[in-house]
Amino acid sequence: MSSAPAPVELERPDIAEEVGSDRPWLAIVWNDPINLMSYVTFVFQTVFGYPKAKAEKLMKDVHHKGRAVVASGTREEMEWDVEILHSYGLWATVKRDD
Amino acid sequence: MRVRKGRHDAVRIRFEPEEAALVRTLMEQLLEMLGEPPAADDELAAVGITDQVDKPDDPVLARLFPDAYRDDGEAAGEFRRYTEMGLRDGKREAAGVVLATLADVFGEGGPAGQDGGVPGGSSGEVELTSDQAQAWLRALNDIRLALGTRLDISEEWYEEAERLDPSDPRMPMFAAYDWLTMLQESLVRAVW
Repeated sequence: MSSAPAPVELERPDIAEEVGSDRPWLAIVWNDPINLMSYVTFVFQTVFGYPKAKAEKLMKDVHHKGRAVVASGTREEMEWDVEILHSYGLWATVKRDD
Repeated sequence: MRVRKGRHDAVRIRFEPEEAALVRTLMEQLLEMLGEPPAADDELAAVGITDQVDKPDDPVLARLFPDAYRDDGEAAGEFRRYTEMGLRDGKREAAGVVLATLADVFGEGGPAGQDGGVPGGSSGEVELTSDQAQAWLRALNDIRLALGTRLDISEEWYEEAERLDPSDPRMPMFAAYDWLTMLQESLVRAVW
């Protein structure tokens, strides 16, 4: 058995990095007692172009489960989405998927 | 207050003069809280960046500009540095649309809203384009967030408000919040 490190082992950290950066980021909306259910549904339709049924399901998840993942993608995309959601007054955060 | 759909996605809202005065006063308070836009010679501000990285101390501002990362203070600060100024601009702009469209019908009004507006104090109808209605929705939501945060509104607020003593000093704020909720609900339905 050779004790010399195989080339593949040398590359391993890079591979791990790459896999890590492929993990998507998430935009999460949190429940709050002020925003109206109708308004939140309307915002999901307006911002993401979701059909009404999907927007309503997400709104109900936010309301009943306390939060919902409303979008996923690159970190930049999720920060952009969260910025727009903040412009509508929704309580939204960015998080790496884990 | 009565909201109805107009032609070409327009929305019409009929207000009593005191209702228009209430919306105006609350929008003016929102603008005051948002502060002045940055000076024209501020180079970073000119491209939408500030050195503001900490969450505002005021609970209302903290609610209007929440942290975008829950467990990463540094990332939250960077996000704030690059976005808060633009967000403040957007909120000022939306409140400005509300004030301008109200002024078209009810006049400018006094600085503290003493002036009812229309001579004789009759009701008036604001006509909004679809874009203006969107601005109204966002601005109304901002003042509901502001009032609701000050009142420490919970999911059960309605029951709490009903049990409140009529002489409680928070009563007018609860009444305003309740009315704004109805207005926003009607406007969402009209715009949808």
